[in-house]
Amino acid sequence: MPTIEKEQWKALGFVAPLLLFVVLLVLVPVLGTLADSFFRDVTYLPKKFIGLGNFEQLLRDRGFWRATRFTCLFVVVSVPLEVLLGILIALILNERLPLRGAIRACVLIPWAIPAAVSGRIFELVYNYSFGAANYLFRVLHLTEGPINWLGSEAGAFFALVVADTWKTTPFAAIILLAGLSSISEDLYAQAKIDRASLIQRFWRVTLPLLKPVVVVTLLFRTIDALRVFDLIFVLTGGGPGGATTSLSLFGYDYFSAGDFGYGSAASVVIFLLAFGLSITYVKLARFEREVV
Amino acid sequence: MNNCSLKVLMPKKIPLIFPIVALLALSCCGPKKNAVVFSVGGAPHSLALWEQLIRDFEKESGIPVEVLRQPTDTDQRRQGLIVPLNAGKSNPDVFLMDVAWLGLFVASDWLEPLGSNVDQEPFFSRVLQMVDMHEGTLMALPVYMDAGLLYYRKDLLESFGLSGPPKTWNELLAYARTVQRKMRKTNPDFYGFVWQGAQYEGLICNFLEFAGSEGGFTNQENKILLDSTENRRALAFMHDLIWTHEVSPPSTYTEMKEEETRTFFQAGNVLFERNWPYAWALHQSPDSKVRGKIGVAPLPAPPDGESVSTLGGWHIGISKFSDIKPQALKLVQFVTSCETQKRLLLNLGLNPGRKDLYADPEVLDKVPHLAQLRDVFQNARPRPILPYYTQISEIAQPFINGVLAGKYEPKDALAAAQQEIAALLKRYVTE
Repeated sequence: MPTIEKEQWKALGFVAPLLLFVVLLVLVPVLGTLADSFFRDVTYLPKKFIGLGNFEQLLRDRGFWRATRFTCLFVVVSVPLEVLLGILIALILNERLPLRGAIRACVLIPWAIPAAVSGRIFELVYNYSFGAANYLFRVLHLTEGPINWLGSEAGAFFALVVADTWKTTPFAAIILLAGLSSISEDLYAQAKIDRASLIQRFWRVTLPLLKPVVVVTLLFRTIDALRVFDLIFVLTGGGPGGATTSLSLFGYDYFSAGDFGYGSAASVVIFLLAFGLSITYVKLARFEREVV
Repeated sequence: MNNCSLKVLMPKKIPLIFPIVALLALSCCGPKKNAVVFSVGGAPHSLALWEQLIRDFEKESGIPVEVLRQPTDTDQRRQGLIVPLNAGKSNPDVFLMDVAWLGLFVASDWLEPLGSNVDQEPFFSRVLQMVDMHEGTLMALPVYMDAGLLYYRKDLLESFGLSGPPKTWNELLAYARTVQRKMRKTNPDFYGFVWQGAQYEGLICNFLEFAGSEGGFTNQENKILLDSTENRRALAFMHDLIWTHEVSPPSTYTEMKEEETRTFFQAGNVLFERNWPYAWALHQSPDSKVRGKIGVAPLPAPPDGESVSTLGGWHIGISKFSDIKPQALKLVQFVTSCETQKRLLLNLGLNPGRKDLYADPEVLDKVPHLAQLRDVFQNARPRPILPYYTQISEIAQPFINGVLAGKYEPKDALAAAQQEIAALLKRYVTE
């Protein structure tokens, strides 16, 4: 029976403020949302406990399924793209380049810009009549007339993927870069002595050692992409024809219209999806064994 | 060594924490005691005027008022009010509401009746009846009015020998095609007609005008009939404006909201524009390319139908949870007074909720087109006054927008929307 020693109390004291914040700012809202999702909480009707009623309704709601399908597709396309590009950028930044510090800082700029602001920036890129993309195409004589980038379902989808990739690849790159710099130089020296080619060194040394970091990056990005909101809110508003309504936007629309119970239920679904995926990642990566 | 460095570190951290704590403490400070908290939103220049008006009210009445600034975006303003009201908070005491929310606010029992002492005579009686009265009780008052209007380029119509603004949709289409074809020779970016088609509330307002003039979208006894022949015809016409007649740009259904259509028109690239009254003052501003070249008219109608404008605008009400209702009522009366309404009109171009100002010589001298607006406002059609109107609109928006994008056929979209609305109503209208 281990007793808590004085030293451990001290440690607990240091952790306590953080723990308090996590409980107040994360746990309480999550539990509150969960509780609310079991109620018919509409401003103009008496609040009533309806068990899983909201969730039953969600399953029958075609708008919900459209949003789920879009969100999953968005995650499946954008996250691998961001992580792959992130690895590429991290590999470049890990080399001894001149002005490495400045380049690293520059790469981080898109990540430092709030998503709503980068949404506005891309609004100017995709704008039909005066957008940068149509200007470029016209100057290069690539198309006859202007293209309505956000006008088709596929167009709007890829426009969002491009904007999201631009914004979050730096985040992936920086985490992966940290992973890369922790790989010992000796291993590469050893590999060179064994006459491993550049590609072999990447596949046999870099990638296996980077794997835990790749998984962490995938995990962060997946959870973030599942909750995608600000970019879509600003850029397409969920259109055209509801084609780019993400789950968060779907829930928000109900929440902002005064149907708190239904909006909460949608949020709980996002939480469960994110939670389930996190556990899957951790299990697949078998962290415990490899990290140590 | 270890302990020592910790002790050295700790005091250094305190100054860092201090401003955060101070900020938190400050943010907890409520408004002044006994002050009426007035929630109003908008662009910076309009908020500046509101602040000025409120300072004058304070001087005049001796009642302290705290202005709670809200953003410009209508949905965000609604959410900013719903949260405190749903929690039964005593602040804000007085707030502005979009005409489309009144159903929700009244049904949620958030509004204090304004009482029988309020003189209803100066206001548009039809608007009061349809929007502000609930079971014979006055719940709110109009502060400013909006309705869809047709802006047109007088100079272009004249130079192509067309007489006056179009009376029917077919005329509008014919004018738009003729002028667009001729203008394209020198200006490849020229379009005949712009309106609001992006996926948002404004699209519904536009749809109601197209559909309403076709005789569709009647909201009788709060039964919403979306899937009707008239509505299909109206929706097909909206689609054809973009795809068949090509008089409206393809960006109509992706980016066209009020400001996008306004800037498009103001750049001199359009013959006709559907917009709210606010665009007039901006079109006539010194840096506008269409200054002095434009006219404004009621929206067109079908040959045998009537012109329909969607009623917009903002109304003022008092929170049921307010702890200083008598003072709050004084503020409401001040905001809806002749003097204040005149200042809002002359400084911000907000069209008064009072009809007397539409005949005021001083006002008509400065805003001559106001006389014309009076009839449009008098007959403007409100969106359904229902507590769940917002949800209905949220369901309809992607379907209507999807038709404009060429994703659905009008009849499929309207049928699907109708079905989803029926499913939604089951949630809200049980018991």
